Amino acid sequence: MSTIASTAEPRQHLLEDWLDSGSAAADRSITPWMDEERQSALEKVRRLGIPSTKQEAWRYSSLKPLTEQRFSPYPAEETSLTRGDLDALVIPGMDAHRAVLVNGRLVPHLSDLQDLPPGARVMSLRAMLEQEPDAVSGHLNKLAGRGDQVFTALNTAGLEDGLLVSVDPGLAVERPVEILHLSVGADVPRVAQPRHLLVLGEGARATVIERYLSLGEPLYCTNSVLELILEPGAGLDHHRIQTESPNAFHLTGLYLSQARGSRYRGLNLGLGAAWSRTDLVVRFSGPEADCELAGLYLAGDRQLVDYHLDVEHGVPHCTSRERFKGILYGRGRAVFDGRIHVARGAHKTDAHLSNKNLLLSRSAEVDTKPQLEIFADDVKCSHGTTVGQIDPDVLFYLRSRGISELAARRMLCLGFAGEIIDDLAPEPLRDYVATQVGSRLEKTTQE
Amino acid sequence: MLSVKGLKASVEGREILRGLDLEVGAGEVHAIMGPNGSGKSTLAHVLAGREGYEVTGGRILLEGEDLLDPAPEERARKGLFLAFQYPVELPGVNNTYFLKAALNAVRKARGEPEIDAVSFLRLMREKLKVLHLDDSLLKRAVNVGFSGGEKKRNEIFQMALLEPKLAVLDETDSGLDIDALRLVADGVNALRSPDRSVVLVTHYQRLLDYIEPDRVHVLVHGRILRSGGKELALELEEKGYGWIEADQEGEAA
Repeated sequence: MSTIASTAEPRQHLLEDWLDSGSAAADRSITPWMDEERQSALEKVRRLGIPSTKQEAWRYSSLKPLTEQRFSPYPAEETSLTRGDLDALVIPGMDAHRAVLVNGRLVPHLSDLQDLPPGARVMSLRAMLEQEPDAVSGHLNKLAGRGDQVFTALNTAGLEDGLLVSVDPGLAVERPVEILHLSVGADVPRVAQPRHLLVLGEGARATVIERYLSLGEPLYCTNSVLELILEPGAGLDHHRIQTESPNAFHLTGLYLSQARGSRYRGLNLGLGAAWSRTDLVVRFSGPEADCELAGLYLAGDRQLVDYHLDVEHGVPHCTSRERFKGILYGRGRAVFDGRIHVARGAHKTDAHLSNKNLLLSRSAEVDTKPQLEIFADDVKCSHGTTVGQIDPDVLFYLRSRGISELAARRMLCLGFAGEIIDDLAPEPLRDYVATQVGSRLEKTTQE
Repeated sequence: MLSVKGLKASVEGREILRGLDLEVGAGEVHAIMGPNGSGKSTLAHVLAGREGYEVTGGRILLEGEDLLDPAPEERARKGLFLAFQYPVELPGVNNTYFLKAALNAVRKARGEPEIDAVSFLRLMREKLKVLHLDDSLLKRAVNVGFSGGEKKRNEIFQMALLEPKLAVLDETDSGLDIDALRLVADGVNALRSPDRSVVLVTHYQRLLDYIEPDRVHVLVHGRILRSGGKELALELEEKGYGWIEADQEGEAA
C-alpha cells in the first residue's frame, strides 16, 4: 500500500502543477460554454490520471522522465525579445505570413500577419472566443474532446489561448502561414499549452508551417493541441518541424477532421527534444477525402521520440497514406504506433502504412507497431515496417570511390531521409530541413 | 605501377588466392582470365580493400607504396579504381551529389582545389557523351532503376571522372550486349594513357576484341599459371581453360 502511495503521489503533482494557473484561469471566465468545456476536461484529467506503461498507448514510452520534473505554467509577462532576435531563427528565403508565439503566447509585435488576404484570419483564439464564440464553438474541442488522451484533456482544462486560423470558402491563401513556437528559458521549468484551431472553409486551400524551437537549451515542456477542420473540398499542406531544446519535453495532440473530397498532406519532422510524443488522430466525415501523413524522426543519446497515429476510416471511398521513417543512433529510442481502423461499411477504403527505421548503433532501439483493423469488404489496405542497418556492401561502394566512412554513412542516412524531405515545399523549407537533418547526422555518425 | 607478390587471401577460412604474382607497368592494359572460382573477383576485391577478405601473405604495391594497409577510401585517393561486377544501388543518394563528393575527395588527396559547380557540370557532360549516357542520369539516385548495361556504363563514367592511375574492371563485360560492350570499351580506350594502367578481369575473350591488352594472364586455383600476349586469349577461347590446367598437371608430373 505504502509503495503505491509513494509512487502515485509525485505523479499527481503533474496534474496539479500544470493546472495551477489553469484553475486560476478557470476563475477568469472566457465564455460560459468554454468554461464548461474546461471544467469537464478537468474532471476527465482527474478521472484518467497519469497513464502508466501498463496502458497500451503508453507501453513503450514511460512518462517517468516527465513526471520526475515539476513544471508550472509561464507567468503572464511581456517578452523582451525583439525582431532582431528572430532573424537567426527564421528560415532563410522563406516568405510567409508569420505568427510568433513565445512561451505559448502570441506576440503581435513579432508577428507578420498584416498581409493576409481578406477572408483569411490568423488571430488569438481567446479573442475570438470572447468576441464571436459561436464562430468557433461548432468546432473547438469537438474532436479533441472525444478521446481519452489525458494530455489533450490537460490542454483543454488549462486552455487560455492559442491561435485561430480560418480561411473562408473558396479562398486559396498562396503564401504559407508559419506558426513559430519559440521557447525561451525561465527561472524554473515551465509548461506551455498552446491550443490552435484551424478551419478551412469549403474549397479553401492553405499551406501551414508549424515550428517548435527554443533559444539555447532550456528545460521546459510544450503540450500543444491542434484541431484541424477541413470542410468539403478543402486542401491543406501542413509541415510540422519540431527542433526543440535537447532538454525539452514535447507533446502534441493533432486532431484532423476531413469532410467530403478534402485533401490533407501532413509532414512531421521530429528532430529535437529529449522526450517527445505526438498523437495524430484522423477522422473522415465524408467520402472521397484523401489524407497523407508522412514523417521523419531522429533520436540519439537519451532521446525518446514517439509517434502514435490513429486513422479511422468511418465512411467509404477515402484514401490514407502513412509513411514514416526514423534514424536512431547512440542510445536513441523511437516508438511508432500506426493504427488504421476501417469501420463496417467503409468500403472502397484505400489505406497504406509504412514505417522504416535505420539503426546506426547497437544500443539504439525502436518499437514499431502497425495495426490494421478492417471490418469492411472491398478495401485496399496494407502495412509494412522495417528495421535495418546500413548495408556494408553499400558502404564499401561509396568508400571505394574515395568517400570517407563518416561521409558515406552521412550520405546514406540523408538518402534514407531524402524520400521524406524531398516532399517538402516550398524550396527554402526543404533546404532548411535538409540542413537541420544534415547537422544532426554529423553527430549521429560520430560514434 | 602495380606490383603483386606472393599474394595469399582467404574468405571465411578458405584460401582463394595462393601466392599470386602480377606486375603491371605504367600505361599497360592487362587481362586476367580464368575459369569460375579461380579467384579473379577475389583479386579485384582484395585490391580495393573490401572487408571479409583476409590477406594471409604477400604484398601489393601501387607505385612502390603499400596498398594493403590503407582503408578503401585511402586506396581510391591514391589512384585505385574498381569497376564493380555488381554495382550497388544507392536509394535517395543523388548521382551528381555522389560524384562531386567522390571527385572532391580524390582531388583533395591529389592536392587540387575543390571543383567549382560550372566546371564540374561541364566535365560530367563531356564524360557522359563518351559513354552515350543521358544527362538525366545526373538527377537520378545512384544506380537506382538503371538497367544492367546502364549500371556498367555508369561505372566506367565514374572511372572517367575520377581519372585513376590504376583501374580494375571486375567482369565489366558480363551481361552486356554488343552495343553496350562497345561503349564500355570506348570509355576504357579513351582513358588509356602512358601513366594509367588497367586490369581487366574477365571470363570471356570477347571484351579483348575491343580493348586490346598488352598482357594476358590465366588465373587458376588462386595462382597465375600462364602469361602471354593477346594471342593467349584467342588460344583460350579455342581450347578452353582445361587445357592450361592439364598442361600444368603435366608439368608438375
